[in-house]
Amino acid sequence: MFGWHGRLLRIDLTRGETSAEDIDPQVVRDYIGGRGLAIRYLYDEVDPTVDPLSPENKLIFATGPLTGTTAPTGNRYMVVTKSPLTGALAHSNSGGDFPTWMKRAGFDMIIFEGRAAQPVYVWINEDEVQIRSAEHIWGKDVPQTTDLLLAETSPEAKVACIGPAGEHLALMAAIMNDKHRAAARSGVGAVMGSKNLKAVVAFGRKNPAFFDDAGMREMSVNLSKEVGVDIKKGSNLRIYGTAYVPQVTNTLGILPTRNFQTGVFEGVDQIDGVALKEKYLVTHKPCWRCPISCGRLTSVDDEKYAGKGEGPEYETIASLGSACALDNLAALTKANYLCNELGLDTISTGLTIAAAMEMYEKGIIPEATIGMPLRFGDGDAVIEMVRRMAYREGFGDQLADGSFRLAEKYGHPEMSVTARKQELPGYDPRGSQGMGLNYATSNKGASHMEGDVAYEEVFGVPLKIDPLTTDGKSELVARFQDAFALIDSGGICVFYAVRYVFSREMMIWPVRLAELLNLTTGAAYTPEEALRAAERVYNLERLFLIKAGSGGEHDTLSPRLLNEPLPEGPGKGKVVELEKMLPGYYLARGWDERGIPTPEKLAELGLAA
Amino acid sequence: MRVSVKLIATYRQLLPPGTKGGCIQVEVAPGSNVAQIISRFGVPLDDSSVIVLNGLTVPLETPLSDGDTVSAFSAIAGGCGCSRTELLSSQRC
Repeated sequence: MFGWHGRLLRIDLTRGETSAEDIDPQVVRDYIGGRGLAIRYLYDEVDPTVDPLSPENKLIFATGPLTGTTAPTGNRYMVVTKSPLTGALAHSNSGGDFPTWMKRAGFDMIIFEGRAAQPVYVWINEDEVQIRSAEHIWGKDVPQTTDLLLAETSPEAKVACIGPAGEHLALMAAIMNDKHRAAARSGVGAVMGSKNLKAVVAFGRKNPAFFDDAGMREMSVNLSKEVGVDIKKGSNLRIYGTAYVPQVTNTLGILPTRNFQTGVFEGVDQIDGVALKEKYLVTHKPCWRCPISCGRLTSVDDEKYAGKGEGPEYETIASLGSACALDNLAALTKANYLCNELGLDTISTGLTIAAAMEMYEKGIIPEATIGMPLRFGDGDAVIEMVRRMAYREGFGDQLADGSFRLAEKYGHPEMSVTARKQELPGYDPRGSQGMGLNYATSNKGASHMEGDVAYEEVFGVPLKIDPLTTDGKSELVARFQDAFALIDSGGICVFYAVRYVFSREMMIWPVRLAELLNLTTGAAYTPEEALRAAERVYNLERLFLIKAGSGGEHDTLSPRLLNEPLPEGPGKGKVVELEKMLPGYYLARGWDERGIPTPEKLAELGLAA
Repeated sequence: MRVSVKLIATYRQLLPPGTKGGCIQVEVAPGSNVAQIISRFGVPLDDSSVIVLNGLTVPLETPLSDGDTVSAFSAIAGGCGCSRTELLSSQRC
């Protein structure tokens, strides 16, 4: 095979056994790799009604055919499992170095199953795979764990691990790789913790050959040059990282503020990319083979909030910052470092704290329950809540179940801003209607990494469209969701892919992404076939959701977004007009009015039972 | 009449030196439109920019009113062609 290894590694943690298996070449072609290949296996091997934190759930790490190649940003992997936060699917994405090292170890995918009797880690040195005791590192944070494991395996290896949050089964626990990168969302770290699996360490030198080596190298060089031309014009992502975005969303009135009570934050100038660059930026820190380099290495020397690490990224600024009305950048950055060290998703962590702050200020959660005041804007309180969540300590035990369960418990569901029980990213959908439809229908719950039409509604990539209208959004969201499934299955980064390897025609069309896949694998996909494969992936995920009890009846949003109009800003007076978009979306997908794929659609995609 | 021009991130450098907070107030002739005021600062008027009036998506020919805010930012994602080693070892990017 070219591009793919055609091999997976299965690790039975209950029995302590490992085995390599061949992957059917037709299955690889039909599902591309990464997210697509993983859902095919999860769907076939895991009962969707299973308890996500039981040994019967499986945890899949999957790279794509472009992971570890010369393709710009070919550095991604996906973590796919049943989510304990949403009860639906998790497919969390991360870059950095680990995904490439995992691929070079000789496997497209790793399936972890069962549960180890004691804490373990897995050391994959090409075909030498060992399940080792992790008793001595259980309880350690992410940087400590990473350093200890590199010392006892190989300094050339790369580590993906959980922190204390995953060990304590916090439902927003992340899997961290290369210390600072996160497969963050949907509680994948809790699934790893439930299996007593502390870490995976990978090293190898096996690269699958390209189908057309010269062609692939030429295209990769040309694509990188193209990015180089843009840098000369000025790149926000390069200069400010994703931290430039708060000024954009604040201007559009969609920067989540005070738990989505408004979309305009008066303290935005204190927590944006300009402030971060002036105060704390050390240098750029790109993922492996990335010409964009949006990552930031930062350092805070403030006595109270001292630390160093990566970030904060935009999503963190929106969740731990404006959503908590926190305008102290040092405290916000410290909270971000702490999330990375303890292994927490900053989005769900920040939004859950924001929900608790609103309930505290409105007298719904008493101070005695929390154990301290929890006012909007209090950076010390945010930092303390992050720590307690990771260890499920005191009130942190309630927070660690996420805002949906917290708000339900106190009788105020409108104060949890979620879709499929997962907290929203930093684009208030009342002022970004397509994002509202996307959040409501996303297979992984509210996410900016699936069907992110904010590219067009907010950033003008590839074309600027009006975020406040619902016109044309049904079809656009379906197309973007498929496009993102293709990117996630291929193994490159969405930041790069949406702009550079799709054409603007036909609501973004994967002309050059198909070409990259073909040069790598020889699969000879037409752009239509590549998108069709992505649609197959999306529909198979949907079938998993329906069987898991998270089907069409859950294609909705928190009451706040549907009933409480934005109080100010460009979208003043708007709610998400979901009922205007959802029927057209089902139609565009070939699903019935209950959101179930029709037999005709399933037959067309080769998914008929 | 007076309007505000807010230039975000990389476009801040198009504002006169010393401008604070990325925002400046300017006097414009009645009947001026979005394109006229924003092109004064050298903001590209093509698809490489996102330009909004009071946060709203409008045609560039839209006439301005007293007190309006025109905001703009680059739609370019971009980066350079430097390798990671080059990036980590130098500040030239």
